[in-house]
Amino acid sequence: MIERKKECIAMLLAGGQGSRLYVLTEDTAKPAVPFGGKYRIIDFSLSNCVNSGIDTVGILTQYQPLELNDYIGNGQPWDLNRNFGGAHVLPPYTRAKHSDWYKGTASAIYQNIAFVDRYNPKYVVLLSGDHIYKMDYHKMLEFHKEKGSECTIAVIDVSDAEATRMGIMSTDDNMAITDFEEKPKHPKSNHASMGVYVFTWDVLRQYLIADEEDPNSENDFGKNIIPAMLKDGRAMYAYPFQGYWKDVGTLDSLWQGNMDLLDPNDPLNIHDPNWKIYARNYASPSTRIDPGATVANSLVAEGCIIRGKVVHSVLYTGCVVEEGACVTGGVIMPNTVIKKGADVNYAIIGEQCVIEENATVGEKPESDDPFAHNGIAVVGHRKTIASGTVVKAKEII
Amino acid sequence: MNMTGIIFSEMYGEDLSVFTHDRNLAAIPFGGRYRLVDFVLSNMVNSGINNVGVLAKQNYHSLMDHLANNQEWDLNRKNGGLLLLPPFASEAVNHNNRGKLDELRNALNYLENATTPYVLLADAYVVYNMDYRPMLQAHIDSGADVTIAATRVEDSPAEFPSVFQAGRSGRVTSYALNCTARPGDFAGMGCLIISRQLLTSAIREYTARGIYHLERDFIQHQFNRGQLSLNLYEFKGVCLRIRDVDEYFNNSLAIIHEEVGGPLFRGDRPIYTRVTDEVPTYYGPECSVSACVIADGCSIEGEADNCVFSRGVRICKGAKVKNCVIMEGSVVGENVELENVIVDKWANITAGAELKGLTTNPVIIRKGATV
Repeated sequence: MIERKKECIAMLLAGGQGSRLYVLTEDTAKPAVPFGGKYRIIDFSLSNCVNSGIDTVGILTQYQPLELNDYIGNGQPWDLNRNFGGAHVLPPYTRAKHSDWYKGTASAIYQNIAFVDRYNPKYVVLLSGDHIYKMDYHKMLEFHKEKGSECTIAVIDVSDAEATRMGIMSTDDNMAITDFEEKPKHPKSNHASMGVYVFTWDVLRQYLIADEEDPNSENDFGKNIIPAMLKDGRAMYAYPFQGYWKDVGTLDSLWQGNMDLLDPNDPLNIHDPNWKIYARNYASPSTRIDPGATVANSLVAEGCIIRGKVVHSVLYTGCVVEEGACVTGGVIMPNTVIKKGADVNYAIIGEQCVIEENATVGEKPESDDPFAHNGIAVVGHRKTIASGTVVKAKEII
Repeated sequence: MNMTGIIFSEMYGEDLSVFTHDRNLAAIPFGGRYRLVDFVLSNMVNSGINNVGVLAKQNYHSLMDHLANNQEWDLNRKNGGLLLLPPFASEAVNHNNRGKLDELRNALNYLENATTPYVLLADAYVVYNMDYRPMLQAHIDSGADVTIAATRVEDSPAEFPSVFQAGRSGRVTSYALNCTARPGDFAGMGCLIISRQLLTSAIREYTARGIYHLERDFIQHQFNRGQLSLNLYEFKGVCLRIRDVDEYFNNSLAIIHEEVGGPLFRGDRPIYTRVTDEVPTYYGPECSVSACVIADGCSIEGEADNCVFSRGVRICKGAKVKNCVIMEGSVVGENVELENVIVDKWANITAGAELKGLTTNPVIIRKGATV
């Protein structure tokens, strides 16, 4: 029998809680959080894989996986329903000995060595399902091969202030990594890790096994695997990325990420027909805008019914804004109903919420800048805000 | 489900020839993101029918393309599923529409191999949202040979392809073709249930004698001779017939209204269509939109009033669009004024153009045209 093999497969870390999204990730994993009208955060990484020619993706889940499992299904929306390869959801599992949760990112991959080995790949792309960006992993893989690299880390240049919160790479002129620091107080460079790695699989495999055997390890790529490889003088390179890349892991950045899509020069450009972002679709009808409604500077997904006013907002699939209701600077997640006379300003409203008549969520500041606000109000998924209630700016329900 | 579905994707096509130049009737865009076939097909799926044959005769590339991924209708089944039934390379190919029996002859093998006792025959030109299960139950309970779905003609007399009168029990007492129905009469919806046995033997018997018209030569003829009993199933929901440009235009715009659009697009029985992964629609800072149905992937920067836009339509700044149906990917340039216009797919209305039709006679811009 001829062994089939893949040159490159992807492993996508989707088990994180995303605790800084508070109520929005209370019962769903961060990669499954809705984004940009009709997407979920994970759609961006998955679509990047497919658009980069990677047709095999292992999706590592752990925290609240129900919604994510359901969403991925057989991978068909991303063209990842393949006979050999495709999308595979990989939760932790029990074994004859040493059953364990995924203790860290490295342990998650370690526990799925058998999955990777099935495809016998030369390279593995390691991703996190937490970021909004468009990136051709194939180009990065070519870079990895050209440099004779064993580990390539995608980096984006950030400000000094941001650098103190991220993993920072120092490189020589040839982009070889000379130093790596996690959240440095005094960053030596501005190359921040994007959480996108290309590994030569047989090298990574050795390090994963060694790391698992080390009882003092936290089994984390940033804290253990990368420093260990660096210490051993492995061929490691930084791959510079230019373009839009956003960690939407906080409520503010999630809101801002949505508002960025309203920029006429949208730096992400989700409209690019050559780099489509795929998502699971739910057979919603076309959006209906009734007489008397106002919609301006907004993105509205399918299946919405608008009778009120919607400005500077992103409305996700199947939302209803009734007569006299007003949404300004709102990020309104799928199937939420804003009832008559309700007022929503600078807020994120979760899925399937009901904002009852004349309730107020968030505050509208006196300002000429349509995006200036006093803080984002947040309502978690499947909540009802009773009639007449006031939810203040920065409040999280 | 003990019923097989058959969809006729042609028939009234000739009255909509401006749209069927390079597609067949079933593939005509409707309601923003849909094609006409989506409605009957989704009705079948939502009624639990998972064997569906789609009869196609000519210009069916567009339809094949649309239905190619039958996953969207959940019809990628190991047992059953969706099958496109183009003609066999026989004499039938060389003739224009001789009748439904002729087309059904192409499906004879399919029907003979089906395992269900009943067959639902449905035309694609009628748009409605209906559960066929109660209709099948009514058919079985009535003991009639054929059950026909119909709507009651309420207001002014109008012409329909089939007109019925029926007693209180639903038993049909008169059946006329292509005539004017008066209030109280029933108008057929191009949808009937018949036993598979009766249908297949009729196809074989009639086509062998060179007789091809299903309604006239078989059903009406046998009914008039008292050899076929007809049961009428009244459908009380929204039913839009698309037989000519006027009906296409008016019914397209009708779905903007809650009383029409609401019952047609209901959450418990969704209408499925092909997924194209368009982005959400963008509404510009200066746009003004009122009474519109808008699909995904559009960009609206001008004014729109009482319009239906399919996917990926662009309305540029300063454009004013009123009472228009604009199909996929068409661009309405800056400061263009349109009123009572149907714009077919991928047309380009260049800046400054002004086009006005009448509500009874809309201007039609052909697919891919530049104006």
